Amino acid sequence: MRVLFKAAAGILLAAAAVLPVSAQELSIMAPAGPGGGWDQTARSLQNALQTEKLATNVQVTNVPGAGGTIGLAQFVSQNKGKADALIVGGYVMVGAILTNNAPVTLDQVTPIARLTGEYEAIVVPTSSPIKTMGDLVAQLKADPGTVSWGGGSAGGTDHITVGLIAKAAGVDPTKINYIPFSGGGEALAAIVGGKVTAGISGYGEFEQQVKAGKLRVLAVSSPERLPNVDGPTLKESGIDVEVQNWRGVWAAPDITDEQKASLISMIEKVNASKTWQDTLATKGWANTFLAGDAFADVLKQEIEKTTAVLKEIGLVK
Amino acid sequence: MESFDALLLGLSVAVQPQNLFYAFIGVLLGTAVGVLPGIGPALTVALLLPVTFKLDPGGSLIMFAGIYYGGMYGGSTSSILLNTPGESASIITALEGNKMARAGRGGPALATAAIGSFVAGLIATIALTFLAPWVVEIALNFGPADYFALMVLAFTTVSAAFGGSALRGLTALFIGLSLGLVGIDLQTGQARLAFGVPDLLDGVEVTTTAVAMFALGETLYIASLGSRMRETIEPVRGSLWMTAQDWARSWKPWLRGTALGFPIGALPAGGAEIPTFLSYSAEKALSKHPEEFGHGAIEGVAGPEAANNASAAGVLVPLLTLGLPTSATAAMMLAGFQQYGIQPGPLLFSTNADLVWGLIASLFIANTMLLVLNLPLIGMWVRLLSIPRPWLYGGILVFATLGTLGANPSQFELAMLAALGLLGFAMRYFDYPVAPVIIGLILGPLAEQQLRRALAISQGDPAALFESSIAIGIYAVCAIVLFGPVLWKLVQRKNGKTLPA
Amino acid sequence: MTSPTERDVRTPPDRAAYAVAALLAVLSGVIAWDAAHISSTVASYSRVGAAAFPYAIAGLVMACAIGTALAAWRGDFPDREPMEFGPVAWIMGGLVAQIVLVGFAGFSIATGVLFGLTARGFGGKPLWLTIPIGIVLSFLLYVLFSKGLQLSLPQGPLERLI
Repeated sequence: MRVLFKAAAGILLAAAAVLPVSAQELSIMAPAGPGGGWDQTARSLQNALQTEKLATNVQVTNVPGAGGTIGLAQFVSQNKGKADALIVGGYVMVGAILTNNAPVTLDQVTPIARLTGEYEAIVVPTSSPIKTMGDLVAQLKADPGTVSWGGGSAGGTDHITVGLIAKAAGVDPTKINYIPFSGGGEALAAIVGGKVTAGISGYGEFEQQVKAGKLRVLAVSSPERLPNVDGPTLKESGIDVEVQNWRGVWAAPDITDEQKASLISMIEKVNASKTWQDTLATKGWANTFLAGDAFADVLKQEIEKTTAVLKEIGLVK
Repeated sequence: MESFDALLLGLSVAVQPQNLFYAFIGVLLGTAVGVLPGIGPALTVALLLPVTFKLDPGGSLIMFAGIYYGGMYGGSTSSILLNTPGESASIITALEGNKMARAGRGGPALATAAIGSFVAGLIATIALTFLAPWVVEIALNFGPADYFALMVLAFTTVSAAFGGSALRGLTALFIGLSLGLVGIDLQTGQARLAFGVPDLLDGVEVTTTAVAMFALGETLYIASLGSRMRETIEPVRGSLWMTAQDWARSWKPWLRGTALGFPIGALPAGGAEIPTFLSYSAEKALSKHPEEFGHGAIEGVAGPEAANNASAAGVLVPLLTLGLPTSATAAMMLAGFQQYGIQPGPLLFSTNADLVWGLIASLFIANTMLLVLNLPLIGMWVRLLSIPRPWLYGGILVFATLGTLGANPSQFELAMLAALGLLGFAMRYFDYPVAPVIIGLILGPLAEQQLRRALAISQGDPAALFESSIAIGIYAVCAIVLFGPVLWKLVQRKNGKTLPA
Repeated sequence: MTSPTERDVRTPPDRAAYAVAALLAVLSGVIAWDAAHISSTVASYSRVGAAAFPYAIAGLVMACAIGTALAAWRGDFPDREPMEFGPVAWIMGGLVAQIVLVGFAGFSIATGVLFGLTARGFGGKPLWLTIPIGIVLSFLLYVLFSKGLQLSLPQGPLERLI
């Protein structure tokens, strides 16, 4: 009977119309389709806000397309001065705005906080003759064309990181032989199968293969060594590059300072809550929380750095 | 037989009444969402995943498997009955399936799809159980050059299958290739044919195009006949169930579809669409009734439906053995695992054997549940077609736009739907086939990206395209497809036989 | 009126077929024009750049345009059923109405109008009956998929009621 009841409750949760008791309403835009990273972040945020009673009725809307720039444009045009609207986004959006030459940029929204982040890892198959980051850089310097890098889409975090590595190693960034793959699985298969020289992506993508002894980590893009990762940082390997693929949340343009402060304090409460911490643990997201003006400053530097490297790779004119 | 024992243990868990109940609910919910055009199994799973959070791991996996198979099957149902493919893997099903449904043979079409899916799912799950380690070794050897060869094979067989009037078929195919160019070029990040419109940067959505071409184009065409709408839809003519002849014509396509779907699904960039194209082409070439193709040939439903279900099980090969999510659906499955802190990968079979076998057993159960649930419902489904025409077509358009809006709630996407619907209508009016448009749209970008990837890795040396034995083998099959029939005729002629033209 | 062969003497030239050929030629031109404007400064080791496929496809489409024009000239473009514009206009009107309405009136009203106009195109009951039925139907679907399954569908006055 208890089981039946549990199941029935599950169905009710799924099928019943939830009647809101309106106290504080909030809408969160995920500028991506259901299921992806930004969508999961938005829905996790929704769950934490409601469970911790920080807001009573939170709606998530999905506006997919063009690396989040379509959602961003819609968010800015529809929510000017509204204190009850948030948009989720991340480092990928910084690149997408630049490569797509998007008319609406992150300057037009109000930074609230950076929530989570992931560092990039550079890997080779275990059977590869390349043993260290030094070996890879030596080959890159000798003949950049022979080093094929497998990673995500052109102009994305992976591509930007390769550009930064080339630049730091004194190699012309326009000469890198970067091979973009559309899905994580396809790239990973090509890397494990030895179809490309090296692979680059968020460390989480590689973790299982590394543990199983199929891939070797040459370096990670974090400021310090990562716990549970057997590999040096890029800086230790003599490459002065640090990249974090982060996700954060912004509010609408033209909100008052009080409204902004209250939103920041709400997200700070979320970050401190058990619900959110549990979510981070189950999803394997690292907490790189940074709120308000500190986030805004970091964001500004990131945009400048990214613009420079994308111009050098030749993706932005 | 270590794996066999483990499977039995998994099955014994899965057949507990409460788990059967979860499977039932999963199949029901999955089917309900899966019938929406544009919302395929991946999105269905994504939307329903939170529901499974509330259950224990075993029950959750079972409901999950049910949602997945339900989503797949729901897509076929709307393809056959309403000509609105629920997802890209069931586009081919609409070709013959909807023709059958309009001729009163919706019952056998739905039945062969359901049983074919069941048979394919069963065989493929068994193959997954016993062959996964070997299949994955071969799959990992596939590089961009080999994928390009596979695309060449798909193009070759497809143009052989759709070659009614060569000029018309090719024109439709090239229109599809043109649509496939729209958006950001993956290799260089450059926008093509986007004309500065941000909504076009991600390209033309395959499911939107399929729904527009099939459902909308057809609706407009029938409306344009006005008072002369001679075409009458008969809900049922003859048997609601498959006849002996239907069975005889279905079982071989089921097996061939499975044989194509499972290995291609296991390839990291194989996908579920290509095996359906290949299966359709193969069935048309091998059929004793090729003249029925295009007018409702049951083989054209049985083969592709088996192929897409087998490929769904194939996708689990790299996921479970390597932790590689090679499709959107597999990525969602990965998320499903992760909610219990489980990382699929090379170590999964040793560290979480019970859950893996639980999942495989769940697939068996969900597959069976789907059959049990859907066969009795066929009678009800086909009666949908007896709804008076104004309500029926009104409902089809409501469903088509609901699916489109659900996947991407934007006015632009609706406008694309309407514009492509007009194109589909014009093509139908001028008697162009519409299926090659979709095939070009799917295959064109894949072929282009794989070719350029292969050449970039080799630094521009075209010899790299013919270096691997896999690629050479696939090109050999292409040659047989192209020249085999001609040579065969020559041999026959030499033997003094004459062939009917 | 000139006709290429004796056989075709009584049939007028197939204007629609020439129009199809012309449209294909325009498509080919647009693709080639766009390809000419792709300027990639990214290192391309593949030698086959972003513009290669567009040029090839433009060429193939142009070949089809020429083939279609030839078919039209020879008169072997297939015969067509005469078309009635009325019902098509009703349905296209429904689609356009939905696109316009969905932005501010929400999913249910916009889709209800589409339902009503489509039913009208197929000779259904009067609009004052079909549109409300469509709105009720769409609203039920909205509740089911949006509230039940968290699908984000466009909201309007009706949707905000619940």
